[in-house]
Amino acid sequence: MLANEHPVLDCPPDRVPEPEELLRAALRWHFDPRTGSPFWLRRARSLDFDPVRDVHTFDDLRLFPNVVDELRETRVEDLVPRGYGDSSGRVRVYESGGTTGAPKRVVFTDDWLERSVAWSLRNMSERGHPEGLNWLALAPAGPHMFGEIIARQARARGGLLFTVDFDPRWVKKCVAQGRTEEAARYTEHLLEQAGHVLATQDVGVLVATPPLLERIARDARLTALVNKNVRLIRWSGAHMDPDTRDLLRDEVFPEVELSGGYGSTMILGGVDERPDTEGVSVFDPFSPYMSFRVVDPETGAEVPYGERGQVVMNHVSKTMLLVNNLERDTALRVRSREGQVGDSLGDVEPLASFGGRAAIEGVY
Amino acid sequence: MSGTLYLDALGPSGPYRPTRRSAVEDVTGTRVAELALVSELFAHRAVNALRAAVPLPSDERIAALERAGKAFASAPVGGVPTREYERLVARVSGTPLPAVRATTRSIANAALEAHRAAHAARPQGAVDDWRSPSARAGGALWSRRGGVLAVHAPGNHPGVHAQWLEALALGYRVAVRPSRREPFTPRRLVQALRTAGFPQDHVALLPCEHGVADTLIRDTDLAMVYGGDDVVDRHRADPRVLAQGPGRSKILITKDHSAATVLDTVVDSVLHQGGTACVNATSVFVEGDPRPLARMIADRLRGLPVLPPDAEDAVLPVRPVATARALAGHLADRAADAVSHGEDVVADIGDGSACLRPAVHSLDGADAPQHRTELPFPCVWVAPWSCSDGMAPLRDTLALTAVTDDERLIDRLMSEPTVRNVYVGAHPTHWTVPGVPHDGYLGEFLMRSKGLRRA
Repeated sequence: MLANEHPVLDCPPDRVPEPEELLRAALRWHFDPRTGSPFWLRRARSLDFDPVRDVHTFDDLRLFPNVVDELRETRVEDLVPRGYGDSSGRVRVYESGGTTGAPKRVVFTDDWLERSVAWSLRNMSERGHPEGLNWLALAPAGPHMFGEIIARQARARGGLLFTVDFDPRWVKKCVAQGRTEEAARYTEHLLEQAGHVLATQDVGVLVATPPLLERIARDARLTALVNKNVRLIRWSGAHMDPDTRDLLRDEVFPEVELSGGYGSTMILGGVDERPDTEGVSVFDPFSPYMSFRVVDPETGAEVPYGERGQVVMNHVSKTMLLVNNLERDTALRVRSREGQVGDSLGDVEPLASFGGRAAIEGVY
Repeated sequence: MSGTLYLDALGPSGPYRPTRRSAVEDVTGTRVAELALVSELFAHRAVNALRAAVPLPSDERIAALERAGKAFASAPVGGVPTREYERLVARVSGTPLPAVRATTRSIANAALEAHRAAHAARPQGAVDDWRSPSARAGGALWSRRGGVLAVHAPGNHPGVHAQWLEALALGYRVAVRPSRREPFTPRRLVQALRTAGFPQDHVALLPCEHGVADTLIRDTDLAMVYGGDDVVDRHRADPRVLAQGPGRSKILITKDHSAATVLDTVVDSVLHQGGTACVNATSVFVEGDPRPLARMIADRLRGLPVLPPDAEDAVLPVRPVATARALAGHLADRAADAVSHGEDVVADIGDGSACLRPAVHSLDGADAPQHRTELPFPCVWVAPWSCSDGMAPLRDTLALTAVTDDERLIDRLMSEPTVRNVYVGAHPTHWTVPGVPHDGYLGEFLMRSKGLRRA
């Protein structure tokens, strides 16, 4: 009933709302004592502005402090907007990779999961990605949203899903402690499982993180198995440098289509690589729910187009409000597509260190 | 030079131009080239391609090495004439131009002699071809320990690239990771080797960042790396890695010889080719008071011309001013209570670079910690030594010149395992000819003897 006050928040998954209409409705929703989350209602008291009165445009989101570090400690119940009513059983909890410290927790409601997956499926159809093929995902499930999103995508595209699960945090820990041998053994263990699936099952779509894809590319047997059956490789979960991407596409997997993705738990999802882009990978967000700005971290102002800056992320939906979040990634600022909020990202790379801690990518 | 030179990687299928690159600057901070940096995946695939390649027959390798050496020294390679190449090396490495020129000749000579020099290491009981009749009824075949050698090259002196040619002579495929400061020498050498007949998948130039370089060392069968004590320590336990560290070369003059009569040898050992190599003398030991000799050395090294490295008569190494000051500061810290006999180390040229003038210090004891301090410019510690000090101060030495008639002392030096070369008499520490090992024969690392019988 309360949601009916803001119909734009429940806009059908196949339609895209007008950005500022969505923004204003979301702010009213998240900061209304009847519908907002305990987290934001409490946090609003220490803001030196009134989000509903003072924030009108996406540019105005800069007024917000970056709250994502608070997600490492906040009770997840407090993150769910009250407007969802009794939400137990309909909310999923996911966590960030833990690249920059203790993991940050977010909540996924069903409506958001359905909306974001529907958008990714539209992208796949637009790109002419194959349907009716089985998928193999080398991607983390458990606390990570990646596994659940892939499961839904594979099902919707008419394929069976094979999975090789892993714990990216263990790999990061190994790397951080200099136990590279152990990280390598763990990776070997993952590849062995992948090899068994590839050798015995019909796999047409391979989902993998760039480090694992690179390890497959180093293994002649696995590379041959991929080239034999797989028609589409979807990579995501870590950055891929343009030289490696070119090598994979042109020399290692010349007959397989490669499609990259860039995801972040802090935008509650991932975005696909703009198709047919020469040179660097370009990522367009699911605007207006997700939006990026590429800024000079010193001044906070956007860098010129084509230059590298640090990525600021916004997530604005009925489910969560996570805005003005200066992320650990850098990217080239790319002109966004018609009607899209903010910037698109080119050649995303992790910052070498973030918040005084070394950022370790590992396998995810 | 107009515009910036682009130095692509030389991969197993030809030149490779990735997007990642790093700037190569000369000692004044002027950018002279951009160097391609290959990714981990590229490096890995290159090593696989090299491993799959079948070595050329030995006589073809010998002929190609000879042709490559000649071209390296006397023909335009990749469109770059020798003189221009040498100037570039001087400008980026700061090695004085005459030293670079002399090294061009020694690299050409090393190519010519690579087969002979490599085979000097072959055990008497081993043949180099299983077809050899002498091993028919049983014997040994001198065989490679692996297929692909990685060379993780430094930029302090172009001469290090004379060493790995022996590996090519022995049938290894070689992947050179050049110094990002001075990539010109290995690049020219790889280009010359390819023009001379080595296929692209036999010798490659893979410039890369540190992380990829570590992968290269893991992926190849054997590796040669150069660096400080940290690098040597890191690889000490790995039998696949030959780590070349500081030389800490020394001269010992016993009381039966007058130090004054070997002064030329001492000065030459310190200053030769700018004093940046591991074979330049770091310490001089004399029986008696070291100060007179230190003063004589300092007098001879005083007033050397302060010139840019690509000047025709440059003698001193040149570095960016900030680096030169840092080195001088490091030296001052280490020198502590040692008595300095030389001039100020840093001589500003005024274009952003500075010459490093010789540092000459005298020490009170043979066991002073300063002897371990080896710096990339002429820097020598002169110290007293007596029989009672024994071998300890003379250990950990690449080249030791012993000016003495004491045969028992010479016996002890010859049997001291941590002294790698001993030259008796007034021979400079940098003395060498092909066939005399540098740090043992490279063949001791690259090869082993395999039991053989075929009849």
